[in-house]
Amino acid sequence: MQLPVLNNTPSHAEHEAKGGCEASSCGTSENQMDSLPDSIREKVQNHPCYSEDAHHYFARMHVAVAPACNIQCHYCNRKYDCSNESRPGVVSEVLTPDQAVKKTMAVAANIPQMTVLGIAGPGDPLANPERTFETFRRLSLEAPDIKLCVSTNGLALPESVEELAKHNIDHVTITINCVDPEIGAKIYPWIFWNNKRIKGVKGAKILIAQQQKGLEMLIAKGILVKVNSVMIPGVNDQHLAEVSRVVKAKGAFLHNVMPLISEPEHGTFYGVMGQRGPTPDELQDLQDSCSGDMNMMRHCRQCRADAVGMLGEDRGDEFTLDKIEVMEIDYEAAMEKRKVIHLAIQAEMDSKRLEKAEKAQQQKQKPRLTTRPVLMAVATSGQGVINLHFGHAKEFLIYEASPDGVRFISHRKADQYCAGDTSCGDGETTLQVTIRALAGCEAVLCSKVGYEPWEMLEAAGIAPNGEHAMEPIEEAVLAVYKEMATAGKLDAKPEAIRANA
Amino acid sequence: MAVKIIESCVNCFACEPVCPSNAIYEAKPHFLVNPKKCTECEGDFPVFQCASICPIEGAILDSFGIAINPPGSLTGIPPEKMAEAMAELQSH
Repeated sequence: MQLPVLNNTPSHAEHEAKGGCEASSCGTSENQMDSLPDSIREKVQNHPCYSEDAHHYFARMHVAVAPACNIQCHYCNRKYDCSNESRPGVVSEVLTPDQAVKKTMAVAANIPQMTVLGIAGPGDPLANPERTFETFRRLSLEAPDIKLCVSTNGLALPESVEELAKHNIDHVTITINCVDPEIGAKIYPWIFWNNKRIKGVKGAKILIAQQQKGLEMLIAKGILVKVNSVMIPGVNDQHLAEVSRVVKAKGAFLHNVMPLISEPEHGTFYGVMGQRGPTPDELQDLQDSCSGDMNMMRHCRQCRADAVGMLGEDRGDEFTLDKIEVMEIDYEAAMEKRKVIHLAIQAEMDSKRLEKAEKAQQQKQKPRLTTRPVLMAVATSGQGVINLHFGHAKEFLIYEASPDGVRFISHRKADQYCAGDTSCGDGETTLQVTIRALAGCEAVLCSKVGYEPWEMLEAAGIAPNGEHAMEPIEEAVLAVYKEMATAGKLDAKPEAIRANA
Repeated sequence: MAVKIIESCVNCFACEPVCPSNAIYEAKPHFLVNPKKCTECEGDFPVFQCASICPIEGAILDSFGIAINPPGSLTGIPPEKMAEAMAELQSH
């Protein structure tokens, strides 16, 4: 079965003629979701990682039951134990399936917005089939209201598809960084295959073949597939548009291109060898160039393999093994409560979606602006509204306003990956780091801004704005964009800003 | 005749299921090899299974006490480059 893919857009020539922004990928991704068949919409509407809309409302968690891996990636260091870092492959404690089930039910009872349980490592879930499937087996019986999903490097995927389908796991993420073994050899130094360690191009070739075969088998079973790719400048950046085309043609539903994380202190090959990650601009350009072919995910937070909570937050500390040990959970009662809360959230989402569609319709009937696009940063703690103090924001959502409407671009972290020691780094204050993270944005919308940051933001060319507190994000961004247009700030192209971003 | 897992082991479980002799077991602070059970895979495989999946250079020694996966052999990071990076980090 070939899944329908979003953004089924016109030919490339037409795409370019419109300046790289074809109608279906502008506006909001919720509108894209509207064009999905009901069966798929049903599956993704409360999944924070599969729906940009849902991630403002619903939470997810990962349980780290799968420590073993069958391949090595150059962006990964298998010494995964660090509590101060937030990135894939990092966890504080590896759980047994029994502990994982207990933790999942404790979180579900205490964070009713948690709808999704994923197994994402810290190794490869399918290289730990017994631990992974035991966890899934038990959860599908004991906590049937939780969606189960899994992410994998794909090497052991073909042999696992039957078992995945059995547990009603309808969301699988495959990390596919290339479809060319020569490029693969620069990303994967080795794989473990048929009782041997296989290095270089030969290993990469087997891995790629397994990933593609697994993808085809999942699609044939009607399982939703998201493809993750790590963007590595100079290695696979030019190649990922091709990856996007290939996986879309096979029926993948969503493509998530993530920036390489390669701090030297992580001790990865890329970190130590000085391989840089992409700039926000480079990432956005690649996502935009793929979006003509594929529905792109832009709200990924590259979370830890034991993350708990809304995307962008981690409440794992509230659910450590010693804490869940003493929690009494009445799951039947919790399920009742969860059901009521989920329905209420769904109703709120539906009404906001409708309102947004109506506003977008009205907007279309107004005379079209001819102004340049602008990036704006937004501070929010969820619900799709501007509801966070500038100083409290640990991350900002970046939106682009243009004559075509408002679209979500990405998120940017306000404090860097390692928040353990504020004295490390080059002596910048947190405020300076935050302002640097907002480079390229011309306004920042939040519920309030203090006096000191106000002045520093203005000096950095970023207009602070606290006038749209509690308003829906897209409406507020559009309103600020129009104010800027009226004030004549949008006539010239800000090449300098773009180049420095 | 047995391999040995040493303290650089990160407890990733990868070796345990691939051992043809069930000689590897979970222990604190790290996995261990039962030397009475370990056959060095002789008769089963031409290469050490544990050391063929282990991601940590130097974590598994052969019966002569030599690292089966020496520095640089798995990550591709040249040992001198790794030393340089670590020295750089410690100087901060």
